[in-house]
Formats: sequence, structure tokens, C-alpha cells
Amino acid sequence: MLKIDNLKAGIEGLEILKGINLSVKKGEVHAIMGPNGSGKSTLSSVIAGNENYEVISGSISFEGEDLLDLDPDQRAHKGVFLSFQYPVEIPGISVSNFIKAAITEKRKVLGLEAMSAKDLLLKMKEKMDLLDMQKGYLSRNMNEGFSGGEKKRNEIFQMAMLEPKLAILDETDSGLDIDALRVVANGVNKLKNSENATIVITHYQRLLDHIIPDYVHVLHNGRIVKSGGKELAHELEKKGYDWITKEADKKWG
Amino acid sequence: MGLIDNIKEYQHNFAVNSKKEKAYLSFLEQGFPNTKNEEWKFSSLKKIISNDFSIEDKGIEINTEEINHNSLNFNYKIIFVNGVLDSKPIIKGVKINKHVDESPSFSNAFSALNAAFSNTGYEINVDPNIIIEEPIEILFLTKNSSNNFIQYRNKIVLGENSQIKIIESVKNIGDQYCFTNMQTNIKLNRSSNIEFNKLQNNNDSQITIDETSLTQEENSNSTVNTLLFGGMFTRNNLNFAQNGEHCESNMNGVVILDDNEFGDNHTYMDHKNANCESNELYKGIYLGKSRGVFNGKIMVQPDAQKINAFQANNNLLVSDNASINSKPQLEIYADDVKCSHGCTIGQLDENALFYMNTRGIRKEDARAILTFAFASEALEKISINKIEDLAKDLIAQKLKVDLSF
Repeated sequence: MLKIDNLKAGIEGLEILKGINLSVKKGEVHAIMGPNGSGKSTLSSVIAGNENYEVISGSISFEGEDLLDLDPDQRAHKGVFLSFQYPVEIPGISVSNFIKAAITEKRKVLGLEAMSAKDLLLKMKEKMDLLDMQKGYLSRNMNEGFSGGEKKRNEIFQMAMLEPKLAILDETDSGLDIDALRVVANGVNKLKNSENATIVITHYQRLLDHIIPDYVHVLHNGRIVKSGGKELAHELEKKGYDWITKEADKKWG
Repeated sequence: MGLIDNIKEYQHNFAVNSKKEKAYLSFLEQGFPNTKNEEWKFSSLKKIISNDFSIEDKGIEINTEEINHNSLNFNYKIIFVNGVLDSKPIIKGVKINKHVDESPSFSNAFSALNAAFSNTGYEINVDPNIIIEEPIEILFLTKNSSNNFIQYRNKIVLGENSQIKIIESVKNIGDQYCFTNMQTNIKLNRSSNIEFNKLQNNNDSQITIDETSLTQEENSNSTVNTLLFGGMFTRNNLNFAQNGEHCESNMNGVVILDDNEFGDNHTYMDHKNANCESNELYKGIYLGKSRGVFNGKIMVQPDAQKINAFQANNNLLVSDNASINSKPQLEIYADDVKCSHGCTIGQLDENALFYMNTRGIRKEDARAILTFAFASEALEKISINKIEDLAKDLIAQKLKVDLSF
């Protein structure tokens, strides 16, 4: 589904990703872990198409298509979704109008008939239940005055509505208390099926107790320095990152 | 030649020592304001008045189909076609006439010109205790055979405890310049209520000078919503004077201009009495090479204690070539008052645009949605759904997107 090949990218002339290789197949859950400043958020921004980041070399293909050639909205239409670490507040636009605009455009681009207001509302209600969200929430302005937890829940709510093929969850656990974490993780798990894939980007292991990854990758200094199964996350929790980063620094300097 | 010379040719038309001649001479003495005048610092008429204008253009015939096409088709309609009253509704308790004011003021150049030359406009008298829920549409439609300089003079008097809603528009469908100089005086007697909506959605042949003045007696409530969506040059002077206690004055504006359009909103809120309120919110969106001016003056007179005055002017410069000059002016001579004002000039939030993009919303649409969200707060005071919907459609049109907000 997603294939990243020797990706080098940076911001304002500074190289942050120094050759990323990653392959994600449908039905898989990948976790990308790493200390602060290792390049995790840069990677998610580049996949989503943030123009502030510059791709220096390498490629990203999504279902055989060159993703780097597409604008962020086109990537979304293909089925890429990024759950933001810091969701943006948009005053003046209600959650329901925002979702309506997103779904309407996607269906238009895909040549599908517009969804009726009634069907849309039903679907929203269903997904809100899934994420244990209050009723008044749809008429609130997008992320405006939301608590950290509400913002993250709103991200997963949008993901549930847009039904992406590839979801990238960037530090979704930050700002969540343990109950909210469970609800959000439970939502993500329910949306998972054999046709879609998830990349969980996280600093800590705790989210991975709820969303069980098939693969764990450690990102350090712009490179994936170690990959393994879910047990690697437990090992990191116990031993920290040092033992891996030191080894990596010896190799790449 | 030029407009001032065109006007000078009319001297012989005035009866000696008549009120109209006095107004005419007062104008000649004042001349058109130039940019040395503080109130016209950013609003130059120089280019416009260098053109020749006719003052007596009778216009080209406008057929029924064109009238209907340009009307908003409310049930109650007052329609002027090339300055001539074409139709008016019959409403119980409301008298509607073609208006000629007996005692015009000529405190500035344009009001003097208007007093001298105007011979058309409406006068609406609402009887006491009459409440008209359904809006009255007023349309001034013109189609000129040459550049035309036209003067309208209007008057509305609301009896005690009465209430009306107005939607007014001036529209030129010809391709020659139409220079409209309009003066409207609105008198609100005790406990009366008016919602006055101005729709200024013109093409680049329209030049508008509009002075609307409201005087409010005790307990009255006024709302003026200005929707300035187009026109080559528009200058609005909107004045409120509160003559009694417990008055409320609201003014809201949405300005959205493009290309070389120019729009200037000058407002003047005169708090003359205690225990009153005023709320002012203008939102400006400037695209292309458009230019805007906002000048909001709030005066709180010495006896006007316990005043609550709020003013905000927020602007969005969508293009690098657009500009806005915004100037709040507060003069407060009473000590127990609450006054706040704020003025912002900004651009669309790039982070919000990217965020919307990643949800599959195209850049153009994301810009339009954010722009509409920015303007929407100033549309909230419009109580007539049809006008609110129309405003939304026009904003989408102006932003060149196919969206329903």
C-alpha cells in the first residue's frame, strides 16, 4: 500500500529525514517510535503533503502511485489521513459543516453521488457513539476551545467519517487521560480492517498497549535504526532508547 | 470639462433666493472634497469627477423582465426605474410617497448637492403601533444613455411602537457610469424599531455616495446591515444620534471587494443620552487590487452616562495588492461608560488551510470556507432569511467557488 524509498527531507535547508525506508501493507499496523527530535512529525507531515517541508530525494508511493506528485487534498481523496499532533482551531466553522465539506468534496472527486443530509447526520451520530462523544459537539466550532482530549477525539471522529485507507496517528495519545486513551484506541481498533492500514507515531509505549502493532520501528536522527515486532516496544519501555541510539550513532556517526 | 463644470452650467435653473439655489451655492462654495480633507484622506474622487456627467439623463427604457430579474421579489416592493417611481405596495398603516424634502440640510458638499438637485426618492411613514413583519424591498434601478449623476432623497418616519424591515439596493444595469448621491433620513419615535439592510452589489460602472442618518427617540432600536459586495467606488456615511435614553443602535457590515473596487465606510455614533447601547461590527475582505477604508467614530457626550459602546473592524487582505485603512475614533466626555474598540488586519491562517487540505478540501474551497467563516459573524443580525441566504450566495460568487455555506 505505502512504500517509502530512501526518503530525505527537511525544512528551511536543514535535512531532518536522512534516508527513510518503510513498507506498509494493507491490514497492517506499524508503530514508529523515537525520542523527541528524531523526525517523527516531519515524516507524517511529508506523507500528508505539508508544503513547509522540502523533499530532497527519494520517493513515496501509495497504491503504486507517486504520492509526492499530489496535493494534500488529492492525497486525502486517495485515502491518506493524518491525525494531527496539534489539531488546528478554526473559528466560525462548526464540526458538522466541516465534515460535510470534506465528505462532499471527496465524493465529488470520486464521482460518487452526494450524501443526503439525513444519511450524513446518521453516520455522524453512529461514529460519535463509537467515540463516546456528547451530542452538542457537532455544532461547536472546529476545535475552538476544545480540551486536548476533545481535539484528539475529534481527529479520530474525522477519521471515522472519512474512512481512509491509510491513517497516520501522530502522537494521538498526548493530552489524553487514561479513560480517553482507551476510548480513542478502541475507536481506532474498531475502524481497523483487512483493507486499511495504520501508522501509529508515538513517543511512549502506552498507546501500544491498546492498539497492538504488527511492526515497531525506531526512528533516530532521521533514520529507522531498528525494526521488530510488538515486543520491541516493550523492550524500549523497559530499557529506554539509549541502547539503540548509541549503537546507531556508532554506525552513522 | 468634468463634473464640476457640468454642474456650473445649471446655475440659471435655480430660482433666485430659493432654498435649492442656496444649497447649490453652498455646494459651489465647498466644491468636491479632496484628499486634503481628513474625512476623505484615502478616498480620492479626482479621477471620477474628471469625467463628464449628465444631470438630466432620462435613461433607457427598462422592461418588466429586467425589473423582475434585478428585484429580489419580495411581496412588498418600492421600485424606482430611472429615477421614476414605478411601483409601490399598499400596506395598512404605512404611507408611501415620492418624497421631496421641504427642509434639506446642506452640511457637506454632497448633502448640498443633493438638496439642490434631488427631485426623487421615497418617503415612508409608519403609523404608531403598526408592526410590519414582512420586509419592504426598495430598488433604484437605472440604465443610462450617458454618464449620469443622480440624486435620491429619502425619508422614513416610524411612529411610536412601530416596527419595519427594509432591504434597499441601488443598481445600474447600463454600461455608462452611474454616479448616485443618496441621502436618507430615518426618524425613530419612542419605542420604534427598524432593521435596515443595504445591499450594494454593483458592477464597475457604479459610483455611490450614500449618507444615511438615523435619529432615535427614547427606547428605540435600530439595526443597519451594510452588505458592500461590489461597485467601482462606494462611500457610505452612516450616522446615528440617540436623542433619548434606553436606545440601542446596531451597525453591521460585510465588505467584500475585488479587482479595482473601492469601498469606504464612515460611521458616526453619537451617544447624547444616558443608558444607551451601541454595537458595531464591520468585516472587510479585500481581494485583487481592491481598497477599503473604515472610519468609525464614537462620541459620548458629557451627560451620556452608563453607555455601553462596542466597535470592531476586522479585515482580511486576501491579496498582496489589496489594502485597507482602518481608523477607530473615540471621543468620550462622560466618566461612567463602557467603550471598547478593536481593529485587526490579517491574512488567512496557513495552518488552518493545510489542515482543511488534508481532509480533502481543495485549496480554493478551503480559502472560501475560512473567508466566509470570518465574515459570518457580521451576518448574524440579519433577521430576514432570504437576505442572509442571498448574502451567502453572493459571497460564494465573489470568491468564485461553487459552495453553499
